[in-house]
Amino acid sequence: MAEKYDSIIVGGGHNGLVCAAYLAKSGKRVLVLEKRQVLGGAAVTEEVFPGFKFSTLSYVVSLFRPSIIRDLELPRHGMEIIPLESAFTPHFEGPGLCRWLDPARTRREISRFSVKDAEVYPEFSVAMTKTSRFVKAFIDAPAPDPTSFALPDLLQLLRVGRALTKDGASFLDLQTKLLTMSSADFLDRWFESDALKAPMAVSGIIGTFLGVRSPGTAYVLLHHYMGEIDGAFRSWGFSKGGTGQISLACARAAEEHGAEMRTGVQVQHIQVKNGRASGVVLENGEVIAAKTVVSNCDPARTFLGLVGEDHLDPEVIAKVKRYKFRGSSGKVNLAVDRLPQFTGREGTAHLRGDIAIAPSIEYLERAYDQAKYGEFSSRPFINMVIPSIMDPSVAPPGKHVISLFVQYAPYHLASGPDSWPQHREKFGDTVIDTIAEYCPGFRDSILHRQVITPWDLEQEYGLTEGNIFHGELTLEQLLFQRPMAPWSRYRTPIKNLWMCGSGTHPGGGVMGAPGQQSATHLLKSGEI
Amino acid sequence: MSSAYDVAIIGGGHNGLTTACLLAQAGRKVVIFERRPQLGGLAGSEEFSPGYHSSGILHDSSGVRPQVIEQLRLESYGLRYDSEPRPVLIPREDGRSLLLWSDPERSAAEISAHSQRDAKTYHQYRAFLQRIAPILQRVFTRPPPNLADLGLKEALRLGSQAIGLRLLGKSDMMELLRIVPMAVADWLGEQFETPLLQAALAAPALHHTFTGPRSPGNSLNLLLSETLSSRPLAGGPPALVVALEKAARALGAEIRADEAVEEVRIENGVVKGVVLADGENVPARVIAASCHPRHLFLDLLSPRHLAIEFEQNIINFRSRGTCAKVHLALSSYPEFPSHPNYTAARIRIGGSLDELERAFDPVKYGEMSERPILEISVPTVTNPETAPTGHHVFSILVHFVPFDLRSGWTDISRQLLLDRVVSRVEEVAPGFTDLVVDAQVLTPFDLEVEYGVTGGHLLHGEPAIDQLIQRPVPECAGYASPIDGLYLCGSGAHPGGGITCAPGALAAAKILRRRTGR
Repeated sequence: MAEKYDSIIVGGGHNGLVCAAYLAKSGKRVLVLEKRQVLGGAAVTEEVFPGFKFSTLSYVVSLFRPSIIRDLELPRHGMEIIPLESAFTPHFEGPGLCRWLDPARTRREISRFSVKDAEVYPEFSVAMTKTSRFVKAFIDAPAPDPTSFALPDLLQLLRVGRALTKDGASFLDLQTKLLTMSSADFLDRWFESDALKAPMAVSGIIGTFLGVRSPGTAYVLLHHYMGEIDGAFRSWGFSKGGTGQISLACARAAEEHGAEMRTGVQVQHIQVKNGRASGVVLENGEVIAAKTVVSNCDPARTFLGLVGEDHLDPEVIAKVKRYKFRGSSGKVNLAVDRLPQFTGREGTAHLRGDIAIAPSIEYLERAYDQAKYGEFSSRPFINMVIPSIMDPSVAPPGKHVISLFVQYAPYHLASGPDSWPQHREKFGDTVIDTIAEYCPGFRDSILHRQVITPWDLEQEYGLTEGNIFHGELTLEQLLFQRPMAPWSRYRTPIKNLWMCGSGTHPGGGVMGAPGQQSATHLLKSGEI
Repeated sequence: MSSAYDVAIIGGGHNGLTTACLLAQAGRKVVIFERRPQLGGLAGSEEFSPGYHSSGILHDSSGVRPQVIEQLRLESYGLRYDSEPRPVLIPREDGRSLLLWSDPERSAAEISAHSQRDAKTYHQYRAFLQRIAPILQRVFTRPPPNLADLGLKEALRLGSQAIGLRLLGKSDMMELLRIVPMAVADWLGEQFETPLLQAALAAPALHHTFTGPRSPGNSLNLLLSETLSSRPLAGGPPALVVALEKAARALGAEIRADEAVEEVRIENGVVKGVVLADGENVPARVIAASCHPRHLFLDLLSPRHLAIEFEQNIINFRSRGTCAKVHLALSSYPEFPSHPNYTAARIRIGGSLDELERAFDPVKYGEMSERPILEISVPTVTNPETAPTGHHVFSILVHFVPFDLRSGWTDISRQLLLDRVVSRVEEVAPGFTDLVVDAQVLTPFDLEVEYGVTGGHLLHGEPAIDQLIQRPVPECAGYASPIDGLYLCGSGAHPGGGITCAPGALAAAKILRRRTGR
């Protein structure tokens, strides 16, 4: 064979880099091509303003697979996670609610709103942790295909069936409820206080085009109990130096094993002949041949963009076209000259974690209602983190960086997605105004501001319709249906073309699992 | 106690009557208690205004299981199917209406006036439904699998259902698995482009749910509404009640109307009988309750008989009524500009998915829709004798109306609801308002008070996936409750609510298999 590479990976996001590292580690010749000047994709650190380093998009880590950290020796390559210490929800009046790592302190905080809820809170954690063990099994293995008659699939299905039923009907009932209920309804079964339920419910909606009252959002609540850093349950954290450090650590691991990286290189299309991929063609006309091509891009970009409809069956094209993206979130990054001072709470301890603007279930649901009809929320849900408190390396002394994840900002504005640039600054103002209601003086602390709309996510980061997870994480687009049946195991209808991005099982977030599993499958396939 | 009944049934709705008939037919000594003076519950007819009769709170009889009619030989008591096909009229403000028939050809012909593409897709849509119907019918006409105690027999039964699913073929099976968790707006949006058609197909999936078109999971409700109904009965649900009552009496069941059960008597975890409002103690070996599960377990029993977790599950059983019932007495049939001189027996009002979604939004905040979705039955088209000559009755299921209106239910808020309903019809049938002679408004709150359905929920609990799989809660999903001798036989049990007789019949079969049944 004349090809210089066993695999070309299109897209240097964290999944592409994880995949590259595993392939290189197995002795394969790998080339990673990244359109932007920096590696990392949506898991990236950028010095947006001089001296201020931002995790431009993805801002916290939780589900990154521990096995990847071990296999690729990522700590040695500069990866370090700093656990979040609290989860704070400010209110207009009073000190709001802050949950801490210390259960006794959390209990006292919740008791301000409901003694009953304070009692139930630990029970809820136990039940969810138990349940999340079951779900975790799905993250680290390929999804069983219920339509397959192959023995391994049947055995896997039987195992799932047994795991579901061995603890009796009530465990199955709990699983069904988690999968199909809304997070608001699910939390109603346990808790009475809106002040507690609202910040808990938001984990069910992040990155989705659903509201806290939409069925199917409850299971994402589990993610909070699945997070693991070095095997410790239930912890979320910042990556030291920004989320981009995780990507860079993966890249260094890959390079150590001989993988090559090229940035600032735009792939024009994937070369396909007779239903078989043979390499890529760059914007400048350069052709690079390889035995296999692995796409880290989302399914729409991969099939409709890089492959092209000419090479695909109408049925596949139809499936890709109905795959739902509809991004719902934006990001605002701020450089500030002092820490925000929330009404009713002194000090800075409550700023050392996750801060959610989520005062009530109704607030969150009304934010969603607006988005359904093509407007961004006039009072959005905001997730704020201030990584510079715990990682001073990302801001000049005495100054801080603030990361604001904002929902809902629908890609499909009523006036069309292309009208986002006209609305960008107004959207930014809305976000600042919202926070200022809880935080007088906030406006004056801002030195610089970067506003990223879903349209920008598509333009700059190649995320179709601005979806941060490469496609909605709804049940019909998960497991054996991600991105579409029967192509859920990283293969595609094009021979020698594989997928390794968040559009594949088990889905989006900085997990690395799609990259890891695609590499495993590719190595087993014998195609390289 | 030789005078004890074998079975006492709480509630004389169509399910309670079905259970009573089937048990009496098998030779059991049965008594049935109905709190209201007349039988039928949500299926019965009422004279809501002098000379005008309603056709049941739930007015659709097309879901009644043919097996029950057959087994009880209800034809011999005068029950008939409606022989004529009755399309649904979906009128639009600009007069470009749509008629949907049960015959796919006739519907497609109607649809083609709006979109050729949709007419073609509609054929595929109906063909798909026809292929998957047997699977859903199997699940929803048989008792639920016993998941609590998954023995070999149960496993085999489940296995055979799984094989049935697989025999659909890979692509249909895949499609079914894909669709079930979807939002109707997404599934219908993939297939059709005509807003009126999308809304017409989506509306039944929303009935009695706490969901809008964009809420995931209600595609299952759409599949169920499309595959589990057959022909309606002549005379609608009230005719069913009349036939069941005759059958019950003929089979020797004792019927005691206007007698409310106040308490289920339990000793050492075993039922002993019921206590009536007047203090009378009626001994019975088995009690079958067709009332709402929350009413049974939380009102009629002392909490000391329930395990804490079970009680908690019952409390958490979601039963938020979102539907009001409005009966209108009309001086004549209204004129729909698209179909002059046409008298449709069924009318559905709601013009687009966004309109449906906007109708749903307020109920989340304890408010009612400004422009509600209307499902109208006109019983006087088939049974003119239920109103004065030439006059008509509109029987309207109105979505979305909350049980707990934030401002509280008063005569003023009831009037506002009525005004919104009438003006919504006026939009598609100019001049309608002047035809209204009299009206009855039943909010979910009124429905709870009058019919004892907790939360005003007409299906005895929301038809969400988790509440359909093990209905109402895992501990009593197979009709038998944790209390020995106490059974569920109403809409709160598998396979759920609506005028079907299915829970009543399946519960009767379960009670008959009971070893100490007599």
